[in-house]
Amino acid sequence: MNPGWDFHAIAPVIIITATIVAVLIADFFFEYRGRFRTQQIASLGVLAAMIPIITLAVDGGTREMFNGGFVVDPYSLVFQGFFLAAAYISMLLSVDYIGDGDYYQGEFYVLLLTSVLGMLVMSSARDLISIFVALETISIPTFVLAGWRKHDPKSNEAAIKYYLIGVMSSAVMLYGMSLVFGLTGSTLLSEIADKVRTLDSPLLIVAGFLTIAGFAFKVSAVPFHFWAPDTYEGAPTPVTAFLSVASKVGGFVALLSVVWFGFSPNSAMFQPVLWGLAAASLILGNLVALRQTNIVRMLAYSSIAQGGFILVPFAVASDGGAWTSSIQSVVIYTLIYGAMNLGAFAIVIALARRTRSAEITSFAGLGQYAPGMAIVMSMFLFSLAGVPPFAGWFAKFTMFRAALDANTPAATVLAALAAVSSVIAFFYYARVAREMWFHQPPEGADVHPIRTPVALNAAVVICAAIVIAVGVYPQLFARLGDLAAGG
Amino acid sequence: MIVQNIFFWVLALAMVLGAIGVVRSQNVVHAALYLVVVMAGAAAQYILLAAEFVAWVQVIIYIGAVIILFLFGIMLTRAPMGGDTKLDNDQRWPAAVVSVFLAGVLGALLIDAFGKKEIVISGAKGEQLLQVGKAGHLADSIFTAYVVPFEVVSILLLAALVGAVVIARRD
Repeated sequence: MNPGWDFHAIAPVIIITATIVAVLIADFFFEYRGRFRTQQIASLGVLAAMIPIITLAVDGGTREMFNGGFVVDPYSLVFQGFFLAAAYISMLLSVDYIGDGDYYQGEFYVLLLTSVLGMLVMSSARDLISIFVALETISIPTFVLAGWRKHDPKSNEAAIKYYLIGVMSSAVMLYGMSLVFGLTGSTLLSEIADKVRTLDSPLLIVAGFLTIAGFAFKVSAVPFHFWAPDTYEGAPTPVTAFLSVASKVGGFVALLSVVWFGFSPNSAMFQPVLWGLAAASLILGNLVALRQTNIVRMLAYSSIAQGGFILVPFAVASDGGAWTSSIQSVVIYTLIYGAMNLGAFAIVIALARRTRSAEITSFAGLGQYAPGMAIVMSMFLFSLAGVPPFAGWFAKFTMFRAALDANTPAATVLAALAAVSSVIAFFYYARVAREMWFHQPPEGADVHPIRTPVALNAAVVICAAIVIAVGVYPQLFARLGDLAAGG
Repeated sequence: MIVQNIFFWVLALAMVLGAIGVVRSQNVVHAALYLVVVMAGAAAQYILLAAEFVAWVQVIIYIGAVIILFLFGIMLTRAPMGGDTKLDNDQRWPAAVVSVFLAGVLGALLIDAFGKKEIVISGAKGEQLLQVGKAGHLADSIFTAYVVPFEVVSILLLAALVGAVVIARRD
């Protein structure tokens, strides 16, 4: 039997796999001082994988393989492009941190790329088995990455917590998937969608609930969020940036694929659960973020809250017109969230090189001695808060549009909650900005201008350019959202 | 069908008792050995489902590799082997309540959904069903429909190996 390979369609996956092997072998041959070259090989591999994505996008159309279990269409290409870009920026953030800290370098990029491989497969997977394998491929390397600072007990704690919660959530999700398979007799999402339309069984609701609960752990939605702040704080900061953007969006893509392609005909399977998750994430994430004194923990709770905003369109989507604007909103929100969150983490990493601290008070007076950094950081913070003209406002706008398009009482309540949370969120983002601009640097602090490595600067510039360009001219990403939603 | 049902219930009961033993045991080695009972029970269930290949894979991988690895792990690290350290904690009663509740709800729902279903193993449909468990059929689906996840898992195992070396290395 010929499985029907389409090598053009899986070229990005093959290129990343080849890069993983190349990095692993090259690391063996480089002298100790040449190990930084593994990062260059890894980055080149990621850039090379972008090429087939562009050619596939130009080619257009939908390519299906393996009875529709692996699909390359605009939806998957948009996310694959996003994951590769996020991986590239994460590597820019990592190179000096990992090099200076004298950590294992080749192995770091092997694990990072394996996680990215999982994300690429996830974007194309339309089958429960592929989705499960892809999700594990995203998660398992990051368990090790979170504990990369082996001699720091906090990093060990981060890795252990993340690992235990991750394994448990996989078990819950797998049990849910097995029930879905038992009830529908298929692992293909398209066939599941046909079956759930007519199937009326209370077990189906529980199956949907368990599957979604597993994903909720991965995207750290309240009440499955408690690992996130500790893991984010303990993990090396570049890894935290990668976890909070790439790995989290990987979870959202899994959720979106399963809900949209699989469960959508039967809204009882996902709508009440997702509504609850979205509302709880919005309220708790934002309220707890207000009380944080550590910037990484604050960004952790902020990412939980941002996850709540991303969940809003899921929770209100139903059969019919609202799906299109919901998909658009989820895609646009995740893309913009990635750029602004990576940017904020880049500044945190750059500043921590000087202050060796992640307390919010360490930002005091930054506007006086490093105005450039303070300006960019304020930009990312206001973008996260949703203040025009930075990209965040457009993300929030599409989210509210999706909620209003749905036009149901539940959707209106959720939109109102989201509006209130946006206002609360503004306070804690603005607090960091106030610290930078209106407070004096602490006594005895080193107030020479901060020199940042080239790679970090590049990462900041890329993120800032996206945040400004999309904020001023939102059609850039709106078009991507339309494409992904099949428009 | 009666014979299969009797075997199923005997195996299921042994698995449940083994599983309770895993969490109740005060000794890590005993817990690992109880786990053998559960895994072997699962393998026997696969044979009842006419899936010999999966059953043997279960025996070779879970009993032959995973459990042995557990025992080696306990032996080579300084994990408490005797019964002197308490493995229980204060949350066992809430945990018991939650487990019984979950077992009740899921059990009731499973009976509601599948209780009246019967597997037909006679005639053409039964013949087709029996083919599904055969190794050849399994190989066909691994190398056609599921070839991408299959290959991705091998890269994942490579990464897991690299990660394990990084964690375990003394430096």
